[in-house]
Amino acid sequence: MALTTASTPTVQPQDLVRAPAKRRGRGGGPRREGLAGYVFLSPWLLGLLGITAIPMLISLYLSFTDYEVLTPWNEVKWVGLANYERMFADDQSYWHAVQVTVKFALIAVPLKLAAALGVALLLNRERRGVGLFRGLFYLPSLLGGSVALAIVWVNMFNREGAFNGFLNIFGIEGKPWVNDPSWALGTLMVLAIWQFGAPMVIFLAGLKQIPNELYEAAAVDGAGSVRRFWNITLPMLSPVIFFNLVLETINGFQGFTAAFVLSNGTGGPIDSTLMYSLNLYIKGFTEYEMGYAAAMAWVFLLAIALITAVFFGTGRFWVHYGDDR
Amino acid sequence: MHPATSPAVAAQPARDHRTSRRHRTLRALAAAAVALPLVLGAAACGNDSTSGPSPQSTEPVELTIMWWGGDARAKLTENALQLYTQAHPNVTFKKVWQANQGYFDKLATVITGGDAPDIFQIDDNFLTEYAERGATLDLSSYKDSGKLDLSKFPESLWKYGVVDGKLAGVAFGENTQGLVYNKSLLQKNNLTEPTIGMSWEAFISWAENVSKVTKVPGTMDPSADYKAFWVWLRQQGKDLYKGKEPGFTEADVAAWFSLWKGARERGATPTPDVIHEGNSSDITKQLVVTGKAATSWVWVNQMPELKKNTKDELGVISYPGNPNAQWGRASMYLSVFKNSAKKDVAVDVINFLANNVDAGKALGTDRGLPSNLDVRQAVADTVTDPAMKLSIQVETELAAKFGQSPQVPPKGHSTMRSELVKAAENVQFNRATPEKAAADFLAVVKSALAK
Repeated sequence: MALTTASTPTVQPQDLVRAPAKRRGRGGGPRREGLAGYVFLSPWLLGLLGITAIPMLISLYLSFTDYEVLTPWNEVKWVGLANYERMFADDQSYWHAVQVTVKFALIAVPLKLAAALGVALLLNRERRGVGLFRGLFYLPSLLGGSVALAIVWVNMFNREGAFNGFLNIFGIEGKPWVNDPSWALGTLMVLAIWQFGAPMVIFLAGLKQIPNELYEAAAVDGAGSVRRFWNITLPMLSPVIFFNLVLETINGFQGFTAAFVLSNGTGGPIDSTLMYSLNLYIKGFTEYEMGYAAAMAWVFLLAIALITAVFFGTGRFWVHYGDDR
Repeated sequence: MHPATSPAVAAQPARDHRTSRRHRTLRALAAAAVALPLVLGAAACGNDSTSGPSPQSTEPVELTIMWWGGDARAKLTENALQLYTQAHPNVTFKKVWQANQGYFDKLATVITGGDAPDIFQIDDNFLTEYAERGATLDLSSYKDSGKLDLSKFPESLWKYGVVDGKLAGVAFGENTQGLVYNKSLLQKNNLTEPTIGMSWEAFISWAENVSKVTKVPGTMDPSADYKAFWVWLRQQGKDLYKGKEPGFTEADVAAWFSLWKGARERGATPTPDVIHEGNSSDITKQLVVTGKAATSWVWVNQMPELKKNTKDELGVISYPGNPNAQWGRASMYLSVFKNSAKKDVAVDVINFLANNVDAGKALGTDRGLPSNLDVRQAVADTVTDPAMKLSIQVETELAAKFGQSPQVPPKGHSTMRSELVKAAENVQFNRATPEKAAADFLAVVKSALAK
């Protein structure tokens, strides 16, 4: 009783009158804090606006014009949907590029994920040296879309390259992989698949989260390793698979550097490595048709967004998130 | 006194007040964000041309000069620019150079980005494009006033830089097509060298023989090369362009492709994948220096750079057929950027590089024969590099046989070149017949020129 009286401050009538004012004052506190938040955010916000948001809006505007890089700003003409019409109706190279990109993504992405999952399963046990192997497999993906890597790849896979040297050991006559229109895209796919380290590490993390009791219970029930994989590992991993699938698909569609280096910026022997972004680059920077390239970029964005939305939509059926099994 | 308004209600107006204030701030930020680039864009628009410092002034001036080429060309150019700085100590140069591959992508980007070089090198593949878009300064007034002296240039040479009545660039170097062959390889195997004026058929037979004897393919397949096609057309009385239209028919292209299909089948050329390597515009990848063929199809002035990339001795002649189909082409131009702040100094530099004998000697024949005939004579007398000597000698010989220069290629020329490569490679890899490839090629070229 004495304690409570001592702890509660005595409220005077004037306090009650002042209270609303104080509250308004304190109402100003959060507002000031909000402002401080924006001030701290401003470097990132300026970067977002200046380097990403505003250029995107300008490119949206340009996609409706006939802007051709060297055109002075006051001569840029609004052409409405002409660029988009040309893309869908009149441009063979556009559809060819779409075809090449889809082919690339359809083959490289599943194989890359399969490799990542397979190796992750192998490296999931705690044996000696497994950390070293994890690091070694992860290393290539750190190099990302590097030009030096692409150059090395081209040298490895051309007629006198190391890969053919390897085949010669077994007496197989190697092809000029990189300069042959039937195989050039294949070398790019192999390059993409070789960089499976990043999704592998994520799979490893996912695997480690699967509670061991599930496996033990299954073993007790007499499930073989294949059954255990199919009915425990895959469903428990499905969120991670989903994450990797979306990310790698987006990356696969955006492939540019390796195709550019391999084909010297032209799209490879007879357009066989003409990825969508490479075609965009050629149209915009080599042939100076920047308005058209901007239109291509926005269609690309919408297409990838659509594919991602489809993934999210179908994900409801096969992705199991944790406890509500 | 009990507060008339409960704390909750008191907080309400404060909250609404707070939200609307925040909303207002956000809206203002958004408005500024949208307005800013428009303001900047409008500011960048304004091109009021002040001619900047005059060449006679002594204020320090830094000119940016951009060119493509190899190490050899860079060294020569730096030496020549050094001479100008010695004569005008207040002028310094920021030199930007790179390989031809990707040069025009970069040039277009820096011009749009507002960082255009004051002087830039350009060739007839892009001159029309840049001139028509207003990126090059019209040098006619400088020529007329004598500040830019073109009097010692062959007339057809400097006229090759005129687009739509405006002098868009100063021809910097005269060159012509050159068939470069591996002399050492031929001598080692006791084979004859190709001769000027031999027919295309005879040349292909010669190449077939070389392939058989030396096991090195006799010649690179030039069916993807627009300059070989150009010469071949002119020998039949046609030309690459007639105004803004192609100067050839589908049948011509099909015949060209069939000619080289036959050559490939006879073994005169390497396999398609090796041909693809040689189709690159990179001079270090040409088959004659990588040893994958005995002959390459280049420009005569590229001899010294080729020589640097191989230990073998090289010879050069004109392309097969009658050499009067070839012409004294401006190998490249130096142009001044239209909105450069230092126009007068830039033109003075170009004038110096083109007409000063010491500068001409410093630049050598790497870009082609010096355009100024007096300088050309002086350089020919004093040059010591054997490859340069040879290229001068061959060109002077051929100059006597040159025919009339064609028109400067119109806009769409770069598309024509890349489409020719695609069409030729389709035939080379047996993915299309010469007729089909020719038909597709002509269709794309017509639409590109019509734009």
